[in-house]
Amino acid sequence: MATSPPPARAARRAVLTGAAAGVGAVLARPGAALAAPDVRGYPATPVPDAATWHGIRRFTAGYTPALRAQVAEAGGFDAWFARQLDGSYDDAWYETTSRWWFSVNADAATVWQRDRADVESLWWADANYQSWAMVRRFGSQRQVLEAMAELWEHHLHVTAQGAVGPFRTPYGKEIRKHALGRFSDLLEAAITHPAMSVYLGNANSTKSAPNENLGRELLELHTVGVGQYDETDVKNSARLLTGFKVGIWTTWATSYDPNAHWTGPVRVMGFSHPNSDPDGRAALSAYLRYLARHPATARRVARKLAVRFVSDTPSDALVDDLAAVYADHDTDISAVLLALVASAEFKAAADAKVRTPPEDVVATYRALGVELTGRPTGLGDETAANTMLWQAQRIGAKPFDWPRPDGRPDTAAAWSSTSRFLASLDIHSTMSGGWWPEQGARYREPVDWLPSAPSGAATASADPAVPAAGEAPLVVARPKKDKKKKKKKKKRKPPAPPPATPQAPDPVLPEPPAEPQPPTTPVASIRFDELVDHLCRTMLGQPVAPTMLQAACEAAGCAPTDVITSQHRIVAWEMPRLLTVLLDSPLHMTR
Amino acid sequence: MTSSCCDEFAALAGGLTRRGLFRGLAGATAAVTTTTAIGGAFMSTSYAATPSAPAVLVVLSMRGAVDGMSLVVPHADPVYYAARPRIAVPSSKLLAKDAFFGLHPDLAPLLPWWNAGSMAAVHATGLPAPNRSHFAAIEAVEDADPGSAARIGWLNRLIGRDSVDDPLQAVQLGDSVLPASLLGPEPAVAVDRVESMVLAGADRWDTHGRRPQSMSTMWADAAGPLGVGARSAMKAIADFAPVRASSPTPANGAVYPDGDLGASLASAARIIRGDIGAEVITIDTGSWDHHVDLGTLEWGQMQRMTKELAGALAAFLTDLGPLTSKVSVVTLSEFGRRTRENANYGLDHGYGNVMLLLGAGVVGGYHGRWPGLVNDVDGDLLVTTDYRSVLSEVVVGRLGASSAQVFPGFQPESVGVIAPASP
Repeated sequence: MATSPPPARAARRAVLTGAAAGVGAVLARPGAALAAPDVRGYPATPVPDAATWHGIRRFTAGYTPALRAQVAEAGGFDAWFARQLDGSYDDAWYETTSRWWFSVNADAATVWQRDRADVESLWWADANYQSWAMVRRFGSQRQVLEAMAELWEHHLHVTAQGAVGPFRTPYGKEIRKHALGRFSDLLEAAITHPAMSVYLGNANSTKSAPNENLGRELLELHTVGVGQYDETDVKNSARLLTGFKVGIWTTWATSYDPNAHWTGPVRVMGFSHPNSDPDGRAALSAYLRYLARHPATARRVARKLAVRFVSDTPSDALVDDLAAVYADHDTDISAVLLALVASAEFKAAADAKVRTPPEDVVATYRALGVELTGRPTGLGDETAANTMLWQAQRIGAKPFDWPRPDGRPDTAAAWSSTSRFLASLDIHSTMSGGWWPEQGARYREPVDWLPSAPSGAATASADPAVPAAGEAPLVVARPKKDKKKKKKKKKRKPPAPPPATPQAPDPVLPEPPAEPQPPTTPVASIRFDELVDHLCRTMLGQPVAPTMLQAACEAAGCAPTDVITSQHRIVAWEMPRLLTVLLDSPLHMTR
Repeated sequence: MTSSCCDEFAALAGGLTRRGLFRGLAGATAAVTTTTAIGGAFMSTSYAATPSAPAVLVVLSMRGAVDGMSLVVPHADPVYYAARPRIAVPSSKLLAKDAFFGLHPDLAPLLPWWNAGSMAAVHATGLPAPNRSHFAAIEAVEDADPGSAARIGWLNRLIGRDSVDDPLQAVQLGDSVLPASLLGPEPAVAVDRVESMVLAGADRWDTHGRRPQSMSTMWADAAGPLGVGARSAMKAIADFAPVRASSPTPANGAVYPDGDLGASLASAARIIRGDIGAEVITIDTGSWDHHVDLGTLEWGQMQRMTKELAGALAAFLTDLGPLTSKVSVVTLSEFGRRTRENANYGLDHGYGNVMLLLGAGVVGGYHGRWPGLVNDVDGDLLVTTDYRSVLSEVVVGRLGASSAQVFPGFQPESVGVIAPASP
């Protein structure tokens, strides 16, 4: 498990800190004098400072130039992070995109009726929700909120596989409401939600034969963890949870049945309650509040956050510190996040985390500057907003699809397998070429990857082979896509799609998450090393490192000094091969 | 190296030699000098050097804790029927009945192997102490090294017993996440399906092998599990060539049921036929966590999933044909389920369970010591055979491993489910 950063990375970070110093320094290797004065970068394309770069990679769905500008406008990473926590940024993307899929804004009864009427199965409603979750991560201005909503949905995991009926989308929305608030409120909302109740067998559990599943996982997974309780505690935990009813596979109506609630004194660890009222919901609420504030829960929540945002193996000291903040702030999640971000351990942990498959997909859309240009028009159509989900599945995991109640793993070891690695490369390749998805997405044209010509005097290069400063840039027609290489990837189709569903009219086009691109003219020519550096800065927010430049040279069959014009084969038809190099890098596959 | 560009790069950047960048990728380094068209240069060299595996162990993990008492029914224990008034499998429906046990009727596709004496059931097996947490229990089962903090699985220790350092020595199928049993210092690969073992971009337009060369450079020194995974993946692509080249049509008329389990076992058969040195294949199937709707013979999860299990295993053995003489299959779960049914036609977490074994070396029939059931709300099937004793017989008898190395500090008891290796 990667805990300490590799020396090469440390060196790169050191280099990054001084990136503003100059072109040559960008590619300098540690311990070597500037042996490569001729290898050039492209510093005209700005990158964020090291702390910002690290912070936004951890708390957002991936670097974009627009994000760099947003952080700069806020006054730096800390100020930006505070604004993310206090809800200053607008939520229009969430509202707009929620209307892209009918089921997302439909109530549970309607979703169930549509299933019965063969309009849209529960399975599809789940898929819609999963797609929406990825789209939210892709474009939201509230990146930290979306990151936290996702984290809690994995912590309080309810699988999105049809088995919880029409409740999965409302469950996700409910979690998001509490994602930056108090864990105590979040826990109560999740455990008493019909989605959780159905998923872990609590719905219709009776006092005479309680179903122990939720009672156990509440202790083991959601709060205190193994080692804190015994089997009697599990039984009492299950008894406190009896009384909730759901009309599973009939009406899905929810109710509370005092006749099914087990009454009598209970004790779970240090919690005791007379539990004499047949309506046991007050007793349950007291129990959940006790669990949320238990020191073992504080540590587990602190560790969960640290593993997500710091490293696979956070120190005990950090976990203790965060747990103390959690306790001192009455389970307030935002307070813990602020402490986490302020910690030295967080600051020292750049790119120590491996991206999960859905994170890889969303970050790839962002790195490539893809715009979502259209909402889905029918079930499972080929719109990018739907396709993202199947892309994540091909890499190894859809969001919230983990088959067990512990939620998907969050460590490098889990997401570094052969299968994952090769599938990621496949997605990077098809997206670099704009081959899949084709609908509802606007990719950049190859020539758009050349930096824009500076408005002032200097061009990118002073190489004699390159047009002199001030010379009029070459205006070129955009080359056509290379049709012969076009290929459509077969995706794993979900079973038997029902017919297309009517959608509520919603003419709103999505706001592109990237900053609006004013019409620009590409530079007339640029050295290959400068181009790769520009790409790395644009897509990944970093100057290019020597290894990546060499890999780019090898992939493209170019020397660093080769002069690239818009007519060069790299621009004309081999740009996908070059873009893939950047996406297939450790820099892109980590965060 | 087919282009001078990189030499030029090395000169420019200073001190960056390709030799250094290719450390740990010896096979691939040799390969990039060729210009094989399709599939890239990676595929051209190293599989000839891959050792053949004389014996193959297939570990089928029945995730979620299968109810062993439904699969292999203790019909002569009266508590079984008393504790499960609605979901017990009727004695009259059982297959391969002896005086005490019988098989779930939906295991029927496996009867030919049962009758031929190459399928066995060991009942009342499990961890030495009860652990009803799926996650803690499966971790304990797959580490199989209680008291050790090292996260090294028993199968990783198994493949680490020799000098072979090929990631294809152990292959996880159908899942991109390695099971805890394979975690550890020895590399292993997780393969979704045979067709996915390709390097995207190493296609017929990549006429100079630039793509694999570039990827080798990029990942040669990358640290952490992702770096290891990348290097294993690129080596595995090369070594997988014979499997990719093999026919995807199952042999001997075998027909796999639809679904992930059938697909994974079909891939397993291709890998075994491809003879690429895989001696351990792991497959997850589940979830068998039937708190709700375990059901009866007419409806519910148990009958549906048992049909799929038996159909897939029968197809696998048929597909392998004569190759079954080198393949042993063993099933594992984290724990068994409670004796008494709950309000939802289901069973909560219990303790003892059944292990099934099929194929080479298996001494067919029912094994294990039955402890007798107790009908109370906590009633568990107790464990009379440590699951490691069963696995120990397999790894010693079939793969020639040392039990002490695979299961540190454990003294196995004789189960008699695997015929002793012939000297």
